[in-house]
Amino acid sequence: MTAAALETLPGSPVGAPAERIDHPLRGFLRQRIGVIGLCMLLVAFVVALAAPLLAPYDPYAPVRVTILDIYQAPSAAHPLGTDDGGKDVLSALIFGTRVSLLVGFSAALIALLIGGTVGLVSGYRAGRLGAGLMRITDVFLVIPDLALQIVIVAIAGQSLTNIILVIGVLGWTTTARLVRSQTLAVRERAFVTRARAIGAGDLHIMRRHILPLVVPLMLANTVLVISLAILSESTLAFLGLGDPTLVSWGQMLNYAFTRGAVSAGAWWALIPPGLAIVWVVLGTTLLGTALEDVFNPRLKRHHLEADEATAVADEIRTDAAAPAVVAPDGAAPLLSVRGLCIEFESPAGPLRAVDDVSFDVGRGETIGLVGESGSGKTTAVLGLMRLLPPGGRVVAGEVRFDGRDLLALPPDELRAVRWSRLSIVFQGAMNALNPVRSVGDQVAEAIRVHEPRIGRRAANARARELLERVGIGAKRASDYPHIYSGGMRQRAMIALALACDPELIVADEPTTALDVMIQAQILELLAGLAAELRMATILVTHDLGVVAQTCDRIVVMYGGSVAEEADAVALFGTPRHPYTQLLLSSFPDVAHPDRALRGIPGTPPRLDAMPRGCRFAPRCPHAFDRCRVERVPDYPAGPEHRAACFLLDPAEAGRHG
Amino acid sequence: MTRGRGRYLLGKIAWAIVTIAIVVTFNFFLFRVLPGDPAKSGMRDPRLNPAAQAALQERFGLDRPVFLAFDGGNPFDSQYFAYLGSLARGDLGTSYAYRDQPVAELLGRGLVNTLWLVLPAQVLSIVLGTILGLIAAWRRKTLVDVAALGFALVTWSLPTFFLGIILLFFGAAWFDLPTAGRETIGAVYASVWEQVADFGSHLLLPTLTLTLVLLGEYMLIMRSSVLEVFSEDYILTARAKGLSTLRIIRDHALRNAMLPLVTLIALNLGFTVSGAIQVEAVYSWPGLGDLTVDAVGRRDYPVLQGAFLLLAVAVVIANLAAELVYGWLDPRVAEG
Repeated sequence: MTAAALETLPGSPVGAPAERIDHPLRGFLRQRIGVIGLCMLLVAFVVALAAPLLAPYDPYAPVRVTILDIYQAPSAAHPLGTDDGGKDVLSALIFGTRVSLLVGFSAALIALLIGGTVGLVSGYRAGRLGAGLMRITDVFLVIPDLALQIVIVAIAGQSLTNIILVIGVLGWTTTARLVRSQTLAVRERAFVTRARAIGAGDLHIMRRHILPLVVPLMLANTVLVISLAILSESTLAFLGLGDPTLVSWGQMLNYAFTRGAVSAGAWWALIPPGLAIVWVVLGTTLLGTALEDVFNPRLKRHHLEADEATAVADEIRTDAAAPAVVAPDGAAPLLSVRGLCIEFESPAGPLRAVDDVSFDVGRGETIGLVGESGSGKTTAVLGLMRLLPPGGRVVAGEVRFDGRDLLALPPDELRAVRWSRLSIVFQGAMNALNPVRSVGDQVAEAIRVHEPRIGRRAANARARELLERVGIGAKRASDYPHIYSGGMRQRAMIALALACDPELIVADEPTTALDVMIQAQILELLAGLAAELRMATILVTHDLGVVAQTCDRIVVMYGGSVAEEADAVALFGTPRHPYTQLLLSSFPDVAHPDRALRGIPGTPPRLDAMPRGCRFAPRCPHAFDRCRVERVPDYPAGPEHRAACFLLDPAEAGRHG
Repeated sequence: MTRGRGRYLLGKIAWAIVTIAIVVTFNFFLFRVLPGDPAKSGMRDPRLNPAAQAALQERFGLDRPVFLAFDGGNPFDSQYFAYLGSLARGDLGTSYAYRDQPVAELLGRGLVNTLWLVLPAQVLSIVLGTILGLIAAWRRKTLVDVAALGFALVTWSLPTFFLGIILLFFGAAWFDLPTAGRETIGAVYASVWEQVADFGSHLLLPTLTLTLVLLGEYMLIMRSSVLEVFSEDYILTARAKGLSTLRIIRDHALRNAMLPLVTLIALNLGFTVSGAIQVEAVYSWPGLGDLTVDAVGRRDYPVLQGAFLLLAVAVVIANLAAELVYGWLDPRVAEG
């Protein structure tokens, strides 16, 4: 699983709170800016409703003015001075709120009705009607709004109704696009197809199944449309196209600006109406942003934010646990992981995804890291390479690669080690390759980064050679990833991983999403190349069948820690941990095709609810009291074989079957 | 591959032509359908004698059917096709307000001035917006990011004309900058450089206003686009490959993030036009926007009709240009 998958897995920190997701309202209240925006709007509403009570003068009442009344500076009688007609600016400002809000909300209503209908119909009827409607939307999208508004209001007449109609009728395009794409997405969901299959009418399906999913998304858009309508109204009024019988902010600015307020230095006639527009638009925008965050949350991943330095906690405990029981014969291992602990931030505090994981990889050795989704296997390998997504940190442990601690390397030395000595084949090669650069170019880039003196031509030649070697053919080097098939992309990813002759390749679920035939080819390719080039390999997978064919040694992970480690023969022959035993019995066995397959009852533990003792105890058929309270250490279970299970404790011997 | 791309280009060009045809037709009928055209209402003025009325009608071609002629003669002998014919000749009619000035000439001068304003503002805001958006995304949740977001929020909420007024107010008071027109009226220049300097000082405030308005928008688009790219798996690959952060941004993030930016800039061209209209109105900059607003005040319909057509067509063409740039940037469009 890649970091992408990590976010959606049941046991993973980000995916975990899915079932107890907050009520939308609570999420909204947490968004302080949304509350601020709402309050700003409420103030505007109160002012609009109570205008006659609040305003010191009636801006619509005719007054006799003398030249001395014009552009009077603020005073006790006129807190915001007077305008070009000698009228009170504050009163006009208060009454102007009415026009702004009235136009904003009624125009937005029209826009939403039109846009919503067009979007729903064109999304639901994706055929000719839908395409036609979308084309019309596209035409409207390119016509400059303001120019068209000016032309129509100029011809049709400057009445409030015309202004509302024009802004509303021209403002529907964004809503139509949004609703259409959401409808298209919902239309294909299972419950809609099911409803259609049992003969539900279109109207019924729209009302009961589609609208409930489209409307929340429209909320944020509604707010945006309102703020645009308010801006449009004030702009038209400023350009002299407002309703001359009404007092509005844009018109106040128009009169002041065209009638000498600037040269008179009468800032009070210019600044307050402008700020009033800003107040309302800012309020709606803040509200809209908050709603957008609640109903349409953005991705939180950010692969560059976790800079090399921050992916590892400032102070790491390296008192790191006892050495692994299993040590490959004599020689120092290429990679030695000791007591690796990784935590993810969460609102409820840090969650431990990987707890005290230790294993070794010898030179040229292939080990399998096996576990269910959420067992922490991918997190462990990403952590040891310091490639954790933001929010994830290595909090304890030691990762010795050829004697040097990777966790303590300064960023530039770490970069030098990456790929040249330690590379990775990611899970979904679709997204692991950059779509706008050719495959050969991406392979050559890796070579050039680590061997700066090699020329562009030589690097390209080697990239083609590598692609040839993984069975793609040098001719395809200049192609872009999107024209490759899934299997070819995975082959390209392997070529990329081989680019700098690394000593260790981490293959993270290299064959998920590929069909079985291709899976076998890819695994064979990987195993063949590893043997030929004497590379060590860590194969991360949930598939025991895969590791059985290719791995020398297998590490089984459960709930973030190592359950059992043994060489392949011992693990498949005499599994000692109950989890491994159950895992094996849930896979088909070629030798005993008549054996009944059994699933493991229960579900993997969640990170925020880890069992106190043995993590597997709640699902274990052999669990006894001690398993539920005491942490399990590793027990030797044979030559180069260890398992974290109390059944192996000599003190328990004989007491349990 | 190249064939797919060729078809993409042809499709886009064909669609732009269809859009322009729709805009032209729409523009024609808009001015026929809606009430208030003085040429039309003037002809029904009872004070005019019938002969003068008929002469006027014939001069403006109003005695012909509107769309298609069904009177047995040439079916294309109608007002609509007459309009298309004169459009093809570059004839947009004559201004009511500026007697005997061809509309095309007025528009041509306006377009040049508008481009003087829009192009520098567009280039400046795209370059600055890209850089600032990139920095904001890269340093997400830091002071830089918060400041960038705050700036975008404020410029978005400020009506363009109001920002123009504020800058005009302070630009005139503190820096003694000119605030109206494109050159000092009645100025005699000692050299070409003096004239250029005068033009430049007139251009400064309008350009600054338009740049600030566009900048916030582009910054936001770039920021969210870069954030999207940063969350992609190929960025993780690039990190695993041992590329430095700067190199990842330059070689893997920038181009990918520019893609949605190009599309959104194209979709936002209407926004640019609306900004230009407002800025021109505030600074009396003699461009298309000023001409439009002026024509509204004078009920100068031929100019209004021509200006609207020119603005709409300009946006369609700029949009097409953006689509072509997109096709060049993204190898995947050959599929679509």
